[in-house]
Amino acid sequence: MTGKLSDLLDAFQGVVPSVIATCDREGTPNVTFNSQVYYVDERHVALSCQFFNKTHRNVRENPWATVDIFEPVSLQAWRMRLRFDHIETEGPLFDTMALRIQVIASHTGMTGVFKLRSADVYEVVSIERIEGLSHTVDLDAPVGLPVGKMTELRGLQLVSDRINRCTDLESLLSGTLESLDETFGFSHGMVLVPEGTEGRLVALATRGYGEGGIGAEVRVGEGAIGLAAARRRMIRVGNMGGELRSGRAIRERAEQAGEAVAPEIPLPGLADAQAQLAIPLVVGGRLLGVLALESRDPLQFDDWDEAYLTVVANQIAMGVDRMQTVEDEGEPVPTAPRRVRPEPPARTRRFRYYRSDDCVFVDGEYLVRNVPGKILWKVLAAHARERRLEFTNRELRLDPTLGLPPVKDNLESRLILLRKRLAEKCPDVKLVPVRRGRFALELCCQVEMEEVAAGT
Amino acid sequence: MVLSEELVAFAQSGVAIHVGTADARMRPETARAMGARVEPGGGEVTVFVPRASMGATEANLEATGRVAAVFVRPLDDVSFQLKGTVVALGEATESDRRVVDRYVDALLEQFMIVGIPARITRAIARWPALAVRFRVEQIFVQTPGPGAGAVLGPAAAAGSGA
Repeated sequence: MTGKLSDLLDAFQGVVPSVIATCDREGTPNVTFNSQVYYVDERHVALSCQFFNKTHRNVRENPWATVDIFEPVSLQAWRMRLRFDHIETEGPLFDTMALRIQVIASHTGMTGVFKLRSADVYEVVSIERIEGLSHTVDLDAPVGLPVGKMTELRGLQLVSDRINRCTDLESLLSGTLESLDETFGFSHGMVLVPEGTEGRLVALATRGYGEGGIGAEVRVGEGAIGLAAARRRMIRVGNMGGELRSGRAIRERAEQAGEAVAPEIPLPGLADAQAQLAIPLVVGGRLLGVLALESRDPLQFDDWDEAYLTVVANQIAMGVDRMQTVEDEGEPVPTAPRRVRPEPPARTRRFRYYRSDDCVFVDGEYLVRNVPGKILWKVLAAHARERRLEFTNRELRLDPTLGLPPVKDNLESRLILLRKRLAEKCPDVKLVPVRRGRFALELCCQVEMEEVAAGT
Repeated sequence: MVLSEELVAFAQSGVAIHVGTADARMRPETARAMGARVEPGGGEVTVFVPRASMGATEANLEATGRVAAVFVRPLDDVSFQLKGTVVALGEATESDRRVVDRYVDALLEQFMIVGIPARITRAIARWPALAVRFRVEQIFVQTPGPGAGAVLGPAAAAGSGA
């Protein structure tokens, strides 16, 4: 089987060292290990060169190299045929690889000795999956912790394993935040995903902030989170000044005074946060979200945290990406049989849709906007019109009025946001997954709908 | 060259083993080996390369006879590399299989220390395997660090490895 470079991003984490074979001009083979194989783009990888060694010399004589890399949890091997292209000794690629090496060096007492000399860039000629594992291995079985000290690597293994086993986006995001808290003590975190075309991110999962933060928005480019998204780089803010706190306080006062604050959910945050870390979730150059963590300790996040959190972020990104390419129609998920309610429920909820900004209110309170708002309106309207109760993701994707991109849409994240907002503001209306790619509308109330046209 | 007693013990313990070869056009290949036996006298080593994952290894060895094998202890990355010439190439026998099975038990313990569960290690293909017996001509220290590539022993004066 052959593969794409992006199929094996998991293996690029350097958790299991890679093996590299080269050959000098006399035809003498050389085989050694290299911990860092770095994904550059779909056709190139970079190998770290800490010492000017035989591999480094061989590929200058004879550019061919073969590298076996291993996925961290399963040990699944991939074989890459490479052709040496060039070396880089400065620039963003070099800096990123050098930082990781520094971090490892400082933890092994090898600072100054163990440092990056060059990033050796290779063209990827081919990739094949090595059928060197028996198929009896059960990857779904929980991985037991080996006895001994809890190290970052073991923690990483736990988090990675958790990510790997998730089958839906919601459990992926909340499960990751939970395991970051339990394993590493990062108790305040959230994941935001891009929403709409106007450069905004919306919080889809939070941990440590209680209820209510789901749906909060951040503009790309603003604040640490927005900046991380705009630059696709990790942003670390230590010793946060008073500005953040005063901004939040102003908002709170305005709300208490009953002023009309824009229909917006405040971003969850610690009032006394001292450090913040925002890590972009990127796959193959596409921004899939931001992982944001906060702490009251100004020195909570160090270089080492950055290094392994980058690994975690990459894994989340690949997980999110995997969820977005999952086939629409799948196995039915077990659900309780839906009961037909004998009597019409008495309570009436009033939904109002403002077409000018695709905003939905319920009983005068802001509920949701943009694509999730449009989806809700479509579903409620179909129910009012033809008493429909079941819907498919496919029909949402095909509906041009919803404006979902044809490929790699994040429909699933929109549905999660919508479900969570409904659960918080209007639990009488539920969108329940019935099988992969399908959901059912469950109503425990009468629905009244009013549409306010644009310009009014 | 003859392996020291220390190296013999190391090579036959639960260390990860990978083999490097190249074809006549000097395109390299790598493959995992599941066990090694240092032959009596200490000058020849046999490594067992599972056929499932060996790629072009067998064809390369038939074409060139040149082989490199790296041995690394997962716990601390202590490693060394042997280079040499094939003296015998063939199907691993039932008596070789005992070496391979013992090796898996030892590797399993080493991998557990670095967090690789036993069920994963057990799933690595091991049989049928190609037995690659080679004469050791060069030995290199390979442990990452400034000493990597240093030559052990006089027969390797021609250059350093790693």
